[in-house]
Amino acid sequence: MKSLELKNIVKRYKTHTVLDNLSLTVAEGERLVLFGSSGAGKTVLLRMIAGVIEPDEGAILIGGQDMRDVEAEDRGIGMAFQNFALFPHMSAYDNIASPLTVGKSSTSSIADGVGKVARLLKIDHVLSHHPKALSNGQKQRTALARALAGSPPLLLLDDPLRNVDAKLRFEMRLELPRLLAAQGATVVYVTQDYKEAMALGDRIAVMANGTIRQIGTPEVIYNAPADIEIARLFGDPTINLLDVTPKSGPDGIYVELSDVQIPLPGMPVSVVGKPCVLGLRPEAVTFTTVPGSIPVTVEAETPLNEKTVTLVLTARKREILVSRPAGTPGPASGAATIAVDGSAAFLFDKTTGARIESMAEYRTNGEAA
Amino acid sequence: MASVTTPQKTASGFKISRRWLPYVLSLPALLVCIGILVPFFTAVVYSFQRYRLSQPWARQFNWGENYLNFLYDPAFWNTLKISLIYAGVTVVLELALGLGIALLLQKRTRINNFVSIMLLMPLMTAPALAALMWKLMTNPGFGILSYLASLVGLQNFRWASSPDTALLTVVLVDIWVYTPFIMILLLAGLRSLPTQPFEAAALDGVPRSFVFFRITLPMLTPYILTATLFRLLDSIQQFDIIYAMTQGGPGNTLTVFQVEAYLNFFQSTNVGRSAALMIILWAITYILSNIFIKNWLRLRERARGEA
Amino acid sequence: MESTSLLERILRGVALVLVVVFFMFPILWIVLMSFQTNETILSVPPSVIFSPTLENYQALITGKLTTAAGTLDIAFMRNLGNSVFLSTASVLIALLLGVPAAYAFARHKFRGSEDIAFTLLSFRFAPPLLVLLPLSLYFQKLGLSDTYFGLIWVYQLICLPLILWIVRGYFEDISADVEYAYRIAGHSWFATFRKIALPLAGPGIAAAGLLAFIFAWNNFVFALVLASADKQPVTVGALAFVTASGIQYGQIAAAIVLSIAPVLALAIYAQRYLVEGLSLGAVKG
Repeated sequence: MKSLELKNIVKRYKTHTVLDNLSLTVAEGERLVLFGSSGAGKTVLLRMIAGVIEPDEGAILIGGQDMRDVEAEDRGIGMAFQNFALFPHMSAYDNIASPLTVGKSSTSSIADGVGKVARLLKIDHVLSHHPKALSNGQKQRTALARALAGSPPLLLLDDPLRNVDAKLRFEMRLELPRLLAAQGATVVYVTQDYKEAMALGDRIAVMANGTIRQIGTPEVIYNAPADIEIARLFGDPTINLLDVTPKSGPDGIYVELSDVQIPLPGMPVSVVGKPCVLGLRPEAVTFTTVPGSIPVTVEAETPLNEKTVTLVLTARKREILVSRPAGTPGPASGAATIAVDGSAAFLFDKTTGARIESMAEYRTNGEAA
Repeated sequence: MASVTTPQKTASGFKISRRWLPYVLSLPALLVCIGILVPFFTAVVYSFQRYRLSQPWARQFNWGENYLNFLYDPAFWNTLKISLIYAGVTVVLELALGLGIALLLQKRTRINNFVSIMLLMPLMTAPALAALMWKLMTNPGFGILSYLASLVGLQNFRWASSPDTALLTVVLVDIWVYTPFIMILLLAGLRSLPTQPFEAAALDGVPRSFVFFRITLPMLTPYILTATLFRLLDSIQQFDIIYAMTQGGPGNTLTVFQVEAYLNFFQSTNVGRSAALMIILWAITYILSNIFIKNWLRLRERARGEA
Repeated sequence: MESTSLLERILRGVALVLVVVFFMFPILWIVLMSFQTNETILSVPPSVIFSPTLENYQALITGKLTTAAGTLDIAFMRNLGNSVFLSTASVLIALLLGVPAAYAFARHKFRGSEDIAFTLLSFRFAPPLLVLLPLSLYFQKLGLSDTYFGLIWVYQLICLPLILWIVRGYFEDISADVEYAYRIAGHSWFATFRKIALPLAGPGIAAAGLLAFIFAWNNFVFALVLASADKQPVTVGALAFVTASGIQYGQIAAAIVLSIAPVLALAIYAQRYLVEGLSLGAVKG
């Protein structure tokens, strides 16, 4: 395994800046997920690491070595493409063998290498087929096997599950962490699916408009999103966002929902009177019968597998999603009351979109810096 | 990690920097073509000279004189006129015929496909040889066409040997060779049109003439334009058919640009005039080809998109 | 169209027959003529019933024509050989030069690449004599005027643009990712070109090569200006033959048949690619 370091990468196409002064470090053996919507620059970045696109500015270091004049074939990289990019005129066997045929390897050692990775991915029975004769799932596994076959120290996976059906995606999401761990390579994994990102990444780098907005462990991204956009991208059902103006009371900072005060412990005084957005994960909202809760009307209820999601309306017709574990009793239709866990709520600056840190966070981060 | 490679040592033999690679790949082709570009500039120089191969000592720059002389030169105006007539008549007739045949063969039936493949044969016949074939067919002694003409009362119809019918004869050969070109382009165009508008029109009982003029023709226009420009570019430069058939004769009936330039060069050895003629033809084709390339690119983009 | 009336069907049938007769009859007539003696040819009215003879072909192939006036040498087989050699060599060289260039133009958008590609394309549309006439003077000076090399060089004017533009289209159709995947797997650009790009563009390269062969074979004016008698291809040779032998119509017909047959066979064989090739990729067949 090898470390990867990107320093101040810039890439422009004509006047459009695709990557804007992007820096990133991936430690040896780390699994980093690049997460972002399409057009964020993830794929360009990955191709740049692979050496098939050149950056306009900045440096790429693999294992501490500058890759400026190193051709793609000499970078020791394995890569799986979103569209599989199998060689259509070669059998699955020859596809997988392609990283092993470089130099003077014996036929038997190639066969061993292909056999091993094919068994690992359960495609050893279709090795003689050409890509045209493979199912989508088999194509995807062949592409993955090809990327793994050379035991590359650095593995780049460009949304490899994008073009397979939901069932297969689910299976692979469970299987991939084990596979990648067995490989012992440094991995950069691109995806647009937040569940995949959460399941596979040691860390997640959230990309937008050619820059990295936030980088951290899945827990950090979920529990302390840097801004509204990231909070909205992670989590299903999506986070509730309500316009509020924090006020100051004897017990500290609070916001009001339907005239009910919700205390926000630890928030700095500077937010008072500032237009803000309150972010409430659906699981931070619960149905309750305690007096003094927020009265709502139940609009619709959607049972999902492991949870039930209810859409409710406040007196001022604001929509709130409430999530509870499946099987637990919920409200009857019509009127209900909800309680909000203020300590699990986020507060975002309405004008910049940035999350406002609690005083405790501010202190630790300040010390770290 | 077995396959860790160091950048300095590599298994791949051919090493060319990625910045230079495309130039290295295209350079040989370019060098060959540069050898061909030189005579182009030479031709420009010749066109500004008094230059006769028979009088090399009198060679000197006369600047625009070759071009100015054209203004009072009936032979030049004849060349221009006959070239334009030839190009205009062949392209219009071939377009009409080609479109007609394409519509006739539009349905993908076995017989239609067979006929459209058969029609490739005239197109693939060398135009010079096609002219010879027609020369045999119009031979006054035994030519089948001369015989047929006599059957319909045209005794002694002299085809290419008579100034009155020489143009007709070479146009006929041109039509025979090149109509299939327009036909196959338009046929491919017709068959690539979306079917929904036609089905909708058929369901609504729209008259067929309306469908043809309001749906088929407009949708086919880019193909028609490309085919027409392509043919116009070739036709204004026609040499093979005319030279093989009559060498520009009888008299100067068929001295189109390239034939006239060829005769000027090799018979009257007037290099200067010949070069000036070619430069004028080049200017005409340059303008036409720019219009053509724009259309062609748009169509090509579309064809690539469908692939 | 279910509403086609009987009258329309008859009219369509008649039109189809007329089209086939007009475009096929000349070839058929020449083929028939090539199996006739001069006496049969000259008989009036012409008749389709005759006893076929091979003597025209025999005379061409042996190169000796015995007439009442004595024996006449016919160089036609040499012309045929020249055509085969000139076209084949031109196409091979054009492929060797044009395919890598097409790859460069398709894969690496380098500075000036479009301009160069268009300059090459414009050769296709420039009047050939513009270049040929000065070139004939140069060739005399350079000693190229009576060489195959000179002719093959000039034939690149026909073959190169064709191959460049058709093959470039085929290279563009190959997904760049497929080539990237092979390089990242550890192979040089050259190995990638050889093992991925070339096999995948194979059909296109073959089609472009066939078409270039046909156009080189059919070319007339290049050889007319630049080739001396013993280097002439069939197109020029047949014309010279007509002038020289004058009244040997049977042999002329046989010569024409031999000259067009190889190309027509190739064209029928490759007809699938012809539409795309003829329009330089603007129309898919």
